[in-house]
Amino acid sequence: MKNCIACGMPMKNASDFAMCDESKDYCVYCARPDGTMQSFDEKKESLTNFIIKTQGLAAEAAESAALSMMRKLPAWENCFD
Amino acid sequence: MAEKRQLQKAQTKERITAAALKVYSENGFSTPTIAIANEAQVSHGSIFVHFPTVDDLLICSLESFSDEIKKELHSLSDPGNDIASLLEMHIGVLIKHEDFYKRLIKEAVYLPEEARNAFIAIQSTVSIHFLHALEKDMNEERIKDVPFHMIFNTWMGLVHYYLLNSDLFAPRGSVLAQYKDSLIECFLTLIKNEKEVKK
Repeated sequence: MKNCIACGMPMKNASDFAMCDESKDYCVYCARPDGTMQSFDEKKESLTNFIIKTQGLAAEAAESAALSMMRKLPAWENCFD
Repeated sequence: MAEKRQLQKAQTKERITAAALKVYSENGFSTPTIAIANEAQVSHGSIFVHFPTVDDLLICSLESFSDEIKKELHSLSDPGNDIASLLEMHIGVLIKHEDFYKRLIKEAVYLPEEARNAFIAIQSTVSIHFLHALEKDMNEERIKDVPFHMIFNTWMGLVHYYLLNSDLFAPRGSVLAQYKDSLIECFLTLIKNEKEVKK
């Protein structure tokens, strides 16, 4: 099973992949409407907002958690010192 | 030869991480590293070959725990899961790791930010499955009109309260195993619209 390179989510079903395309390495949540992968800043923002929406954390704590998750993912390995 | 050395190194690191999880679970996250070395049956110095600082070991252990929980949740979940089966699955995974998870929620506030973020990563995985399971009910107004994070935090609050006071609720055995059905039933009654409860 593939894991999304941008958020780490395991992709089990075709609907988990961007544009339902199982050859893609990123998931439906990390794709822009045109199917391309979100940029680092877009992903940081969407992940932070997701944590706020689902767990209700303060923006600062949510952003720290989002960056911490992204730091371990292949898509962003060149974006951190 | 070099490959064999790499493999041995990885195995030792894994053994130290597994030992750390056991020791933290039993004695807390401030347990001296010598206790972890003893549990892993490696020299004390070997720990610092693999983990330059105590925090590195702590963060790596928590991330490995977080990855394990996330993997289990993903493998058990199904896009068609309803909320009741999701809650059952969540409690099932927590029962499997109950001692460590209890320790984690008890001491989370004292952990370094990076280690705490590993805990938030677990909650993010739970919350995405929660969101999928509830989306249809929310759209069809089968559950109360309350912000999603409050619904999610109500469930987490309930589960964590029973875990943190397990000595009072269940002096022997697993508090989650004993209270699983009442926790799920109570939570569903709280979030459902009255029409749905009467059904």
